[in-house]
Amino acid sequence: MQLSLPRRRAGRDEAVAGYLLVAPQLAGFLAFVLGPLLAVFWFSLQERSLLSPVVTPVGLQNFATLFADDALFRTVLWNSLVFAGGLVPLNVALALGLALLLARPLFGVTFFRTLFFAPVVTSAVAWAIVWRFMLQGEQGTVNQLLSLGGIAGPNWLREPGWAMAAVIVTRVLKGVGLNMLIFLAALKDLPQDYLDAARVDGANPWQTFRHITLPLLAPTTLMVLVITVIGSLKVFDHIMLMTEGGPANATLVLVYYVYYQAFRNFELGYASALAVVLFALTLALTLLQWSLRRRFVYNEQ
Amino acid sequence: VQNSVQRSATDATPPSYQKGIAMIVPPARQLARLLLVALALLLAACGAAAPASPPAAEGDADTPVALRMTVWTGSEAHLALLNGIAEAYRADHPNVSVQFDTIPFDDYTSKLTIQLAGGNPPDAGWILETTAPAFIDAGVLADIGGTLKGDESYDYADLSAPAMGLWTRSEAVYGVPFSTSPFVLFYNQDMFEAAGLQTPNELQAAGAWTWEALADAARTIAAENPGVYGFETVDNAGYSSRIWHNLVPIVRAYGGEAWADGTCTMASPEAVAAVQLYHDMVYVDQSAVPPGEQGDFYTGASAMTVGQLSRVSKLKDATFAWDIAPLPAGPAGQPAVVGQAALGVFNAGPHPEEAADFVAFMTNKENTAKLAQFFPPARSSVLATDAMATANPAINPQSLNGAIVTGIEQGVVLPSHSEFPKIDLAARAEFDKLWSPDADVAAVLGGVCAAIDPLLQP
Repeated sequence: MQLSLPRRRAGRDEAVAGYLLVAPQLAGFLAFVLGPLLAVFWFSLQERSLLSPVVTPVGLQNFATLFADDALFRTVLWNSLVFAGGLVPLNVALALGLALLLARPLFGVTFFRTLFFAPVVTSAVAWAIVWRFMLQGEQGTVNQLLSLGGIAGPNWLREPGWAMAAVIVTRVLKGVGLNMLIFLAALKDLPQDYLDAARVDGANPWQTFRHITLPLLAPTTLMVLVITVIGSLKVFDHIMLMTEGGPANATLVLVYYVYYQAFRNFELGYASALAVVLFALTLALTLLQWSLRRRFVYNEQ
Repeated sequence: VQNSVQRSATDATPPSYQKGIAMIVPPARQLARLLLVALALLLAACGAAAPASPPAAEGDADTPVALRMTVWTGSEAHLALLNGIAEAYRADHPNVSVQFDTIPFDDYTSKLTIQLAGGNPPDAGWILETTAPAFIDAGVLADIGGTLKGDESYDYADLSAPAMGLWTRSEAVYGVPFSTSPFVLFYNQDMFEAAGLQTPNELQAAGAWTWEALADAARTIAAENPGVYGFETVDNAGYSSRIWHNLVPIVRAYGGEAWADGTCTMASPEAVAAVQLYHDMVYVDQSAVPPGEQGDFYTGASAMTVGQLSRVSKLKDATFAWDIAPLPAGPAGQPAVVGQAALGVFNAGPHPEEAADFVAFMTNKENTAKLAQFFPPARSSVLATDAMATANPAINPQSLNGAIVTGIEQGVVLPSHSEFPKIDLAARAEFDKLWSPDADVAAVLGGVCAAIDPLLQP
């Protein structure tokens, strides 16, 4: 008892020091993350305009409007689905393919790794703006190159179907390097014994990939999927800078729609309700992916 | 905390003493105390900063007042003119300084609104005609009628009543239009001469200046000059933020209108014919700058563009001869379209009274005459004299008189609506469907009306 008292005091002092050290970060989190987050839930139950100080509590009216009357919201949901459905498989497949190619010690491999990773560290704003110029209808680089091959390219960012394809592909090129790097690291960590054993058993490269590499990569793949799906639902800057949700709302996705309602239509309450729906959707998807983990991930302890 | 402060103050004393403390107090506790002191100081600093600016006492001429006014021009010539007026104001009000904050036109309303709602309101700002009713309805703008009408030398009655229509509600005044600026045609005279074409002003004099004549000229010039477009929409924003200012002048020349009495009229046969003409320029003649493309008139990449007097500042270093002409006529005559911008004071701003006084100064007779070189005024006295015809020496007075002065006298703003921000968003998504070669203009405009009719109804 007499021995433990000073130790407990020292422990408490250490705890105080610890809390004080994290205090600035914690204060920042409370003021700029948790506070606004709770405010969004509160605002979602109100009718409030960005222009006017008048606030009317409306209960769940915003959500009712959202699901029952807002035709644009259905377009937006569909667009988000198309965007994620295009971006996630393309990104993950390309990242895995590149990682498999670049995992071999070939000549110049470092150059290509750097090449594919460079867009990740490029400013998202610069990336989007440069692509917007390259995708112009007549003077754009892409169409100039296509015209060399006798192909008349579309006005990429101004025709609804092409605009969605263009934002997906440019977004994949921007982000694929990071996923590639994660796969590369995972590939380097694969136990060589399994691969050797497969070779001794006479497995061809496809069989090795299908039955050894892919299952061993499952935890990595799951993690990459989770962050890519969440990233695809959170896309905003890219849309804002390349298409502003157009043409004809063809690239109006969830987060941009939140911005559209809040800062262009000035409907802050309604935009908050949208943000809550987005939050719930992201949470549900993440939980779903974690529950699927058991089925697909064999070797996790 | 007091105790800790004293202890920490002793940290500056000789090292031997400090070492003594370190021996008595365990390192973790010492760290904890230091951090507590730091936190206390931080909080104290924040606390001291918060109530820093008590409201200025009424009529206190010594309290420094820093006014902030948002504008959408980034032109050096415009800002020099504005800063000159602020300097002149300072001569009489040494405590007042004015800072002009540029927000680009495309994002102006949404960024201004964020500043107003986000606790960083400017004191005053330029207000776009299209957002005026929404701002007034929401109580964003202060009533500055008292300041304006109370000053005899200001001569409130001199402001033309039609120009004030959008900015007044019975006796209340929510803004003073500093710019009532007709849309006119800027043309590259060298290109017209090189193509052997009659210039728009010559055609105007001959009574043959029509939108079809404009389309013909654009086609000829674009065909003869590879890489040059015949026609560019206003600020090349005619497919997005300037869609209305792009299409409505043509529609009116054909006898149509955007909407009237709470009903959309953009799908009328007149409007369809007008929009078809422009659509053909883009996709059949390929003479107009298409969506998403660059074609800067001011650097010689387009032969014609629609603009306002303020754009003359962009032609300061132009390497080609240029002139201005009225917008062409259509089957229904040659109506002029004006764009209006006013100075307003924000209720939420820190110094509404000082801001109102500055707005009054900026729009008095003397400064209105100064602003007139870029921003056509709404003051009858300035318009009545020849001041306007010689306001900007870069333009020949005859053209200025023919295009601008006539435009101010006859011009009509776009129809207004308190739900304009929503109407604009809904319409733009439908207008987007126009911009493909095989678009059915009548069907798309029908879609525009279907989208905005529910919002237009009172």
